[in-house]
Amino acid sequence: MADAMNSIAIEGRSSLGPAASARPTLWAWLLLPGSIFLLVLFVVPLVGLLLLALGMPDWTMANFLRIGENPAYLTVFRKTLEISVSVTALAFLLSYPVAYALATGGPILRTILLVAVVLPYFSSVLARTFAWILLLGRNGVINGMLLELGWVSQPIAMLYNRFGVIIGMTHIIMPLMILPMYTVMSGIDQGLLRAARANGASPIAAFLTVFLPLSLPGVMAGVLLAFIYCLGFYITPALLGGVSDLTITMAISSQIVDQLNWNFGSALSMVLLVVVLVILWIGSRFFPIDQLLGLSDQKVGSGKVVRRQIGTQWLMRVGSGANALDRWLPSIGGRGITLLAGFLAVLLLLPVLIVAYLSFSSSSYFVFPVPGYSLRNYEGYFSNALWLRATFASVRVGLMATGMATVLGGMLAFGLSRGRIRGRGVMVALVLSPIIMPTIVVAVATYFLMVQVGLQGTEFGLALGHAVHAIPYVVVIVVANLRDLNPTYERAARSLGADPLATFRTIVAPLIMPAFIVAAFFAFLTSFDDVVYVLFLGIGRITTLPMRMWDGINQDINPTIAAVATMQMVFAALVIVLGTMLGRRKK
Amino acid sequence: MLMKASLSGTDVKTGSIALHNLQKRYGSATAVDDVSLSISPGEFISLLGPSGSGKTTTLMMIAGFEMPDSGRVLLDDKEITRLPAHRRELGVIFQNYALFPHMTVAENVAYPLRMRRVAKAEREARVHRVLDQVHLGALASRYPHQMSGGQQQRVAIARALAFDPPVLLLDEPLGALDKKLRQHLRNEIKTLHKQVGKTMIYVTHDQEEALAMSDRVAVMHEGRIRQVSAPQDIYRRPADLFVAGFVGEVNLIPVSIRSGVVQGPAGDKLPAAQWPDADRDATLCVRPEHLRIETAAAGTSAGIQGRIVDMTFVGDATILEFQSESGLRLTSKVLNISAKAMPDVGDACLASWAANDATILTQ
Repeated sequence: MADAMNSIAIEGRSSLGPAASARPTLWAWLLLPGSIFLLVLFVVPLVGLLLLALGMPDWTMANFLRIGENPAYLTVFRKTLEISVSVTALAFLLSYPVAYALATGGPILRTILLVAVVLPYFSSVLARTFAWILLLGRNGVINGMLLELGWVSQPIAMLYNRFGVIIGMTHIIMPLMILPMYTVMSGIDQGLLRAARANGASPIAAFLTVFLPLSLPGVMAGVLLAFIYCLGFYITPALLGGVSDLTITMAISSQIVDQLNWNFGSALSMVLLVVVLVILWIGSRFFPIDQLLGLSDQKVGSGKVVRRQIGTQWLMRVGSGANALDRWLPSIGGRGITLLAGFLAVLLLLPVLIVAYLSFSSSSYFVFPVPGYSLRNYEGYFSNALWLRATFASVRVGLMATGMATVLGGMLAFGLSRGRIRGRGVMVALVLSPIIMPTIVVAVATYFLMVQVGLQGTEFGLALGHAVHAIPYVVVIVVANLRDLNPTYERAARSLGADPLATFRTIVAPLIMPAFIVAAFFAFLTSFDDVVYVLFLGIGRITTLPMRMWDGINQDINPTIAAVATMQMVFAALVIVLGTMLGRRKK
Repeated sequence: MLMKASLSGTDVKTGSIALHNLQKRYGSATAVDDVSLSISPGEFISLLGPSGSGKTTTLMMIAGFEMPDSGRVLLDDKEITRLPAHRRELGVIFQNYALFPHMTVAENVAYPLRMRRVAKAEREARVHRVLDQVHLGALASRYPHQMSGGQQQRVAIARALAFDPPVLLLDEPLGALDKKLRQHLRNEIKTLHKQVGKTMIYVTHDQEEALAMSDRVAVMHEGRIRQVSAPQDIYRRPADLFVAGFVGEVNLIPVSIRSGVVQGPAGDKLPAAQWPDADRDATLCVRPEHLRIETAAAGTSAGIQGRIVDMTFVGDATILEFQSESGLRLTSKVLNISAKAMPDVGDACLASWAANDATILTQ
């Protein structure tokens, strides 16, 4: 099994290496439309952003110097870093046990955890942030309970301060951190732990000397992705944070939207982008990021990556020490991990569930527990022309973006899997960048481009931006499925007299159709949930559903929002269920 | 806790394992059903059976990775049934080797010693010695993925030997290797067993492996041990139809015992050495290589009349397919020793065997 994996990896690599005799196949042409699309709508805008920051056409470094000289901006950077580091650290502590239980637990526990991780992951950031507003607010659920219990005499301030931001952001990035860790952990052969036990390691020592070091690539990837996401996070800090905690994303937004200082806003964006790129570059020295996103044939954690693990020797000493204490230490692990992971799963799901619960309230205010059940919030949504118009706008934009992203992403996936091009790594980096780069920076850059071609404030322009953001998801999903598509089937069809087109129509298309459907749904979901692009590209003219929620949250905490958030989450859940079902049918 | 550094093991008297009425159920399925077995120090015993026969579950209960629902496991007369795996001091060699991918060969082999907090100098000396023993001294700083399957297998053996356990448990250790290498390593493990004199419990579904390596073979089926005997007895004197069919090829001939005579399907007397006294129906087993098929003219002894319906040349031997007048099909394997004239397809023949080569089974 392991050998087979290795040989696949070697085959995959040699076909890409410069020494390979294989030339690009005809499939490589499929890369063309998608790459041009991403070049024009992603690379060009970012270059434009750089030029703006440099004051084009009057070249100057003044904008960058101003950032360095103004202590206010240094404070912004410091606070952004403080928040990002705290959130990443807290999220790591909470995510590792969940990922561990997800990878090693029994089937029931795994199903529960998977739901608890995946459902929040795909429900909108806005809905989850809204949930925390309801929970943490002065008259929120938590304060209400504390007062009820008599533990406090007056409400504690948990919202619109550092505490609220950290809690909300941690909750939102946890799935992002758990998934790469889980990917690596589920690749760890459970037999290795048995082998450690057979060689005299207690459960704790086996964990410390075998499981933990082997899970490090996933830990690094998860921590890195989460940290980058925190640095570029806009929605949650903007909604949950206090006035004193201005982060870089808020500074960018205020420069561009409020002050109309494009050059300076661009300079701030460039700084954020460079920081992210440097972190990514350092990270890629330790592990290949594309592997964790499912775009590499190589097994995660294999080969040279493993040898770079510096902490292994140290862990070995700790493990050996822990082993000596085995007889005196109570047996932790086992049930303890299960209970902890279960508890964390509840915490992950709870905000989402509470919003759903409150959406059925009969009160026109948020009261916990609800005084009675009614559908008044849902009626409020369906009878309000503004909400409905926003929904239709979202659907129109979403459908356009989905169409473009699915077609272009699908072609890119085929080209990447079968094109055998040189410089595949560059191509992969280009394709994945839109989801790794801070959304706000890409949105700002796209905005400037749209202004130049007059597409700002149009639904088509917004859909173009959303398509760029959705393409990586489509590619990842389709590539993963293409890897399962055995080329022997196609050879068999050819040998039976089918021409290439007929082969594609009768063999390839039916086999990967489920993947395309799932990819299209996820593309739609990313567009349907987005606020950041709308904030910039919509220039106040387009009101999508999330945009209307955003306005609603900023103005008054309208209970209708709870109903909308609930419906969004139900929609996300349906997409996940559909994806799982289509995936299972294939097996 | 650790035994003397000697790996020669000639003085080792420990390493006896006793299983008493082991029982293990998964839900409603019984994986291991009332298994009892007594293994003496230094013995090489195989647990042989098809997949799902309970052999691996039995081994895992000895290793401590599965807990029996009832029954006891004893190591040198001490009960270890509930002892956690890491305190059992048994060496385990896993099916896919389970080498730690993030450690070098030397670190892998040193692992059990580190867990026992053996001092560095002693540890290194021992790693060195064990690796030499499996001829891998030169590859100590390699990583497992840089080695061939056979080499990885040797590292797994070295790691299990490093802490000098009295018993080695081997879970289909050669399953992942190709045939040639398997035969080679089979001999190596056998030689190693002679050298270190440790008790070895070897799980396999490959009957040839089990017969070739073991002092005794325990054949398992549906969670039960069907027969425990020396390889020759397993082959020559199978205890029941399952063992007869699972180990080697066999011809099964329905017979009836009437007034102390073994009668074939056509009512004729068949050769056999031992059979029950009482009248009953039974099955006569005879191995293909023991079945003689001769043209009817030459055949004067007792046997079954019929014809040759097919002949297949397989290199070292020729396989003759024979069909009796009553429709019973039998297979005979004739070694191609000399250019002896063989009967042809269609020839009328007599199938017979030496009385000693037949086994009568009554269930």
